[in-house]
Amino acid sequence: MEILQYTLRKLVTGIPLIFGVTLISFTLMVHYGPDKTYDLLGKNPTQEQITEVRHQLGYDQTFVVRYTQYLQELATMNFGYSDSSGEKVSSILIRTMPVSLALILPGFVLGNLLGIILALISAYHRGYWIDKVIMGVSVMGMSVSFLIVIIAFQVIFSSSKGLDLFPVRGWDVYSFTDYIHYVTVPTLASIFVSLGYNTRFYRAVIVEEMGRDHVRTAKAFGAHPIELLFKSVLKNSLIPIITRIMFSIPLVVISGSLLLESYFGIPGVGKVTYDAIISGDQPILKAVVGLTAIMFVFTLIINDILYKVVDPRISLK
Amino acid sequence: MNLVKKRSTAQAREENVGESMWSKAAYKFRRDRTGMMGLYVVVLYMLVALGVAFGLWGTEWSDNNGQKWEGISFQYWFGTNILGQDIFERAVFSTKTAFEVGLVVAMISTLIGAILGALSGFFSNTWIDEIILWVMGVLDSIPFYLFVAAIAFALSGFAYSMHVAMIATFWTGTSRLVRGEVIKLKNFEFVEAARAVGVPQHTIIFRHILPNTFHILLVQSTIVFVGAIKSEVILSFLGLGVKDGVSWGLMIAESTLEVQAGEFANFYAASALLFILVMAFNMFSDALQDALDPKKVSA
Repeated sequence: MEILQYTLRKLVTGIPLIFGVTLISFTLMVHYGPDKTYDLLGKNPTQEQITEVRHQLGYDQTFVVRYTQYLQELATMNFGYSDSSGEKVSSILIRTMPVSLALILPGFVLGNLLGIILALISAYHRGYWIDKVIMGVSVMGMSVSFLIVIIAFQVIFSSSKGLDLFPVRGWDVYSFTDYIHYVTVPTLASIFVSLGYNTRFYRAVIVEEMGRDHVRTAKAFGAHPIELLFKSVLKNSLIPIITRIMFSIPLVVISGSLLLESYFGIPGVGKVTYDAIISGDQPILKAVVGLTAIMFVFTLIINDILYKVVDPRISLK
Repeated sequence: MNLVKKRSTAQAREENVGESMWSKAAYKFRRDRTGMMGLYVVVLYMLVALGVAFGLWGTEWSDNNGQKWEGISFQYWFGTNILGQDIFERAVFSTKTAFEVGLVVAMISTLIGAILGALSGFFSNTWIDEIILWVMGVLDSIPFYLFVAAIAFALSGFAYSMHVAMIATFWTGTSRLVRGEVIKLKNFEFVEAARAVGVPQHTIIFRHILPNTFHILLVQSTIVFVGAIKSEVILSFLGLGVKDGVSWGLMIAESTLEVQAGEFANFYAASALLFILVMAFNMFSDALQDALDPKKVSA
């Protein structure tokens, strides 16, 4: 009950955020976005045809009217039809969002898990050579551009000049083996890029926790390293870990996959949105931006509730 | 004013003994071997970039004198690209582009972050703070690449739309850190003293409090610099980046075609130069953080 009340209250306070995100995005992407009038007209259009198309696209209305309409669409989750393909926006999103999620999820999960494991090893052996090696490699990993990793991995794993094990691009997934086939190289690339950042962040968190008295006491009593790390250290450093993971979720789902999707030719939501910005397909843009903002607000709420689950001393107020 | 003067003489005395935060930090930094190595490499790159800016080298980056994909030779140190342009010249010229993007974005976003962070920290829990926090929350919730693409189109034709987009998103990190520090600092006695002798509010914020966050601003600007260089590469690949001149991002973007044909010179040259600079800057930035933050957990 407490959680329900809290959620409702937070939802109300999240409204200004949704309002701000949609307003800025609407101004940039829709008001100043590309004009689609002449894409939809034939050669030598008459004045009436131009007015007609502009009316269909809603260009003839004022900014305020169009923005209010957008908020209505957002509230009812009805975004109409894509300007380019005529397909229903909701069906485009239903088709593309699972693809993006399937593409990004393994790399995200493994990147964070491996980061935590390496950070635990590194923090446990703080100051010794194994820590120095892990941290040195992390800085090197952080210094490589995502784009370089993608290109290099594609050459190494997918091209005829390398191992030639995986498809170069595309997404023909009908079974689990297909999925593994297409997802491996993008996953390896995203793990490679995120691992350095993750390891460093988690190590800093864990090192701080390792210095606390209860950990020293447990160590003095001869607690097994694994038990010490998981029970005394990891459990107590869950709050910053949760925050980091939760806050990357909304961005990972959309922008994180844009580069992978456009380089590997995967029809996910990042690619669809990017194309929509270029071509000025406003219904899609409105839907994606609005949904991201809503997702952000929910992430904030879930984040706070998870705090409470992890640490019962925290009160939801 | 008297109090302020007294403080500064006390500070000066401390510096002589080597006890101030900055002299301690400088001492600590100089002993950090990886940090110093990073600094040397960054300075070297900076000299190369300055040379390009003054037209000393890298001037033939757009001439296509050679044949397509010439090998490494005395004339073309890194070979030539698909258009017969000298890859070495292009890579050198790109150093200037990288520094231009990095410096512009780091300086302006640090400035905005410092001012707005200081205001929101000093007026914490008032409507000013609420508004600034709201703006930061909003900017952080818009997916970065979509935001850049949108700004690029809204400002179509403007050569610096990429810079604008990066500045608009990067200042929030600095601002949050400065805000936290200012909230802590504004309860210190020197602020109370300044208030008691009637120093105006804006002077307190910008002359008394903000300079005390300089170590945060310095570290943050190195982090933003690296972030800007790395984002430039990806944005240039997506066609949203550098409009005139050449950059490592554009070189890598054009090398994607060459890589498929088995020509790696362009890709290697741009990637290696980018990697070394970012790596050196990361090492420099880490050492700076270690030296300036006594609380930071270091290795």
